[in-house]
Parts: sequence; C-alpha cells; structure tokens
Amino acid sequence: MEYLGQNKREGLGRKANSRFLLILLILVSLLLLLSSLYSARASVFEKAREGVLDATAPILEIISGPIRAVNDIIGYTSDYFSVLEQNKALREENAVLRQWMNEALELRETLAAYEGLDTFSSAPPMRSVDAFVIGEANSAYAHSMIVNAGRQRNIEVGQAVIDDRGLVGRIVDTGTRASRILLLTDVQSRVPVYIEGADVDGILVGRTRARPAISFTESAEPAELAPGQRVLTSGAGGVLPRGLPIGVIDGERREEIVVRLYANYNRTRLVRIINYEFPSIIDGNAGAQVESRAAATPSEG
Amino acid sequence: MGYRAEYLLRLLKAAAPTFFAFFGVLLMAAPLRLFEGVAPTPIIPLFFVFYWSIYAPNYLPAPSVFAVGLLQDFLTGGPLGLWAAVYLAAQFVVMSQRSYFAGRDRSVVWMGFLMAALGVALLFWLTMSLMAGRLLPLGGLAYQLAATVILYPVFDLFFGRLHRRVLVEA
Repeated sequence: MEYLGQNKREGLGRKANSRFLLILLILVSLLLLLSSLYSARASVFEKAREGVLDATAPILEIISGPIRAVNDIIGYTSDYFSVLEQNKALREENAVLRQWMNEALELRETLAAYEGLDTFSSAPPMRSVDAFVIGEANSAYAHSMIVNAGRQRNIEVGQAVIDDRGLVGRIVDTGTRASRILLLTDVQSRVPVYIEGADVDGILVGRTRARPAISFTESAEPAELAPGQRVLTSGAGGVLPRGLPIGVIDGERREEIVVRLYANYNRTRLVRIINYEFPSIIDGNAGAQVESRAAATPSEG
Repeated sequence: MGYRAEYLLRLLKAAAPTFFAFFGVLLMAAPLRLFEGVAPTPIIPLFFVFYWSIYAPNYLPAPSVFAVGLLQDFLTGGPLGLWAAVYLAAQFVVMSQRSYFAGRDRSVVWMGFLMAALGVALLFWLTMSLMAGRLLPLGGLAYQLAATVILYPVFDLFFGRLHRRVLVEA
C-alpha cells in the first residue's frame, strides 16, 4: 500500500523502536513465563493478579453494561419469534413441576416431623453472596469468569459458585472487589463428585471441551452407570459442600465417562457464591452427631 | 492552536494505537457472547498488533505489545508472559516481512494475517499442551481462529482509515 514508509512521523516508539528491544522483551516474557510456571502461587504473582483484577474490575463493569443491554435486546427479539414453541414447552414443564411441588410439600411435612426429634442435627446453613459476571476469559484453553464481588464481601478462594441451573465452578483468585471463577470445563478444574444411585465417588476433570469427564480412583469397583444419572458434588476434601447439582451422565467416549453440565456458560450472568463452613469435630455442643456426620462423608486426599 | 495544545494532540495521536490495543484486551475479557455465545470471541488484540506491526511499528512499539500481552495474561488467568511472548513473536515475524507486504493488495495482507494468526494459535496451543501435559483438543481454538481471521477485513477497513486519515494525516 502506498501508505507505507511513514515511520518517520511521530509514534510512541520513535526513538525506542529497535529490534534489540523487541528481542529483549521476548526474552523477558519467556523468563516471566518460566518463573510463573514454577511458582504459580508465589506471593508476587498472586499480589499482581489481585491488583490487576481490582484495577480492571470497574472498567470491565462499565464495558459489560452496554454489552448486557445489547444482548438483552437480541435475546428479546429472538424470543419473540419462538413464543409459541416456548409457551408449549413451558406449559409442559409447568405440569411436571406441579407434580414435583406436591411431592416437595409432602416431603416438607415428613422432614418437619424428623426435625422435631432430639437426635436430629441439621447441616450448617450456607451463607451466600450474589454477584454479576463482568468478565470472561474468552480463551480456548483458559476457562474462567470474573465476578464483581471480592474480599470486601467475604469471598474466599475455594468457595463454590452456582447459578440457577447448577454448579458453575469455584473461586481461584480474589481481589477486594472482584474475583475469578475457574469453570468446570477448564483443564485445571478438579471437583470431587458422586453419582446418584450408583454409590461411587469420582473426580470431575475439566478437559477444555464443553463436557468434562469423571475419573475414578483405581481402587474403585466398576459401577453400573447409565446416561441420565445425576452427578453431584461429594464434599470430599472439605471444600465444596455436598450435594450441589453438576449435571447428568452423558455417556462414554473414548473410555471416559462424560458429564453434560447443567450450567450453560453462554447464559451465566448472575451467580451465587456459597460460603460454606464444614461442621468441625471440635465444635462445641452437638459434638457426637457432627462427628458421625463428618465420618459419613467419604474423604479422600 | 497553541504550542502546548499541539504537543498534547501529537502525544495523543502517538499513544492512540496503544490505547486501542488495551481497549481490545478489555473488550475481549468482557462477556461478549456474540450471537448468544454461539460464535467464539475473536482474538481482538492480534488485529492491533498485526496492523501496526505491518504499517507503522513505531505507533505500537514493543513495550506496548508487551504490556498488552501481559494484561491479557492477567485477565484470562493463564500463565503470565504467555500472550506477551506470543504477540511479541508475531510482531517480530510480521515486521521482518514488511517489505513483502509493501504496496500489496488488501487480500494479500489478509492472507498474511491468516498466516500470523495460525502461527499465534500454534504457539499458544503448544505452550498450553506442554503445561497440561497432554495434547489439548484443537476444536475451540480453530473456531476462535476462524472468527479472528474472518473479522480482520472489517477491522482493517475501520482502523486503516482511522490510522491514515486521523493519526498520520490530520
């Protein structure tokens, strides 16, 4: 193009631009890469991550506002064209849900009777914080989201994040006003799970695809698994509470049991971060029962 | 126009590409979800790095590229320095081919961008696979690459005009 050769005009790097500087910076970033690999949790990197998270959170919040508005308009218009089908689907779903409601009301009565017993001790209540998703990694191999709640609202590393469908992920970085969620599909994600009705524990392993896989410990006995069985957090390891819904078994692919997640990351917008304290054995009054409860949850390293 | 105002304006123009690139990183870190999340988000900063490396490297010097890559590393939560290294490598290669692209048609430059994007994706995939300890699936990255390459002409049309009409000429 005839516009080349204009580098005599001013630019930021008029004096500094040289191949030497470029190569030097490549070396610096490679060095940084190596050192951050060997000590990913070093306090320097941790501090820097938190600092950047805090500094960019307000900007991300401003940017995500209009994006949300535009996406809403697009969503409304596409909804408008499928009103009839949606209505039909919702009516069917409503009929099923009504049956569930009756069953739940019955169960509530039964439960109330049990709660009246002296030997009953309830699980500790979960405290939760609601937050909006303001950022997303949008990277093929790093799956994470940024939410607008941080240490100021008692968010801590390791806490579970759910939305209206099921488990989304867990907190890996916290700033004062924003924190990062590692999604279940990320390569680094490991979540202890159990499969309802099959009585087996496993670990949900992210593999960058939309559907993570379950890996079982080698000593585990082979279990009969069928597609459609529910997968829930097992609470092993004492980080995530037990019984959060994750998804259903989708089938077997290349000798891996694959899970279809309840969460739809394309629609995750409002999330709830769960602050759950596991019942500790030393805890005062209801000691014996708490102890038996803790023993009942299988624990593995 | 006073001397001071002119100086400020010149400074602003010189810094504009860097600002755009930073904004590109922030935009990429926002929950864009194009077409309700069906389309992957393009690697937006690569547009800026490629365009200014080929037409006017002085406007987006290596330190700016380094900072842009580092910010992306922080925002994606990946290993620090990875995108910085990838973008700098892209700039190095693209700058070495400047004389080839001089005076060529837009479509040739687009092919050049395809090559650069392929190289960037390959580097990224190799590093992430090395870190994960196994070869990672290529599907998601291929989609993202396609989105990036398809969107480049749109970017070129807009920022090319901006660069020539506003940053250089006015």
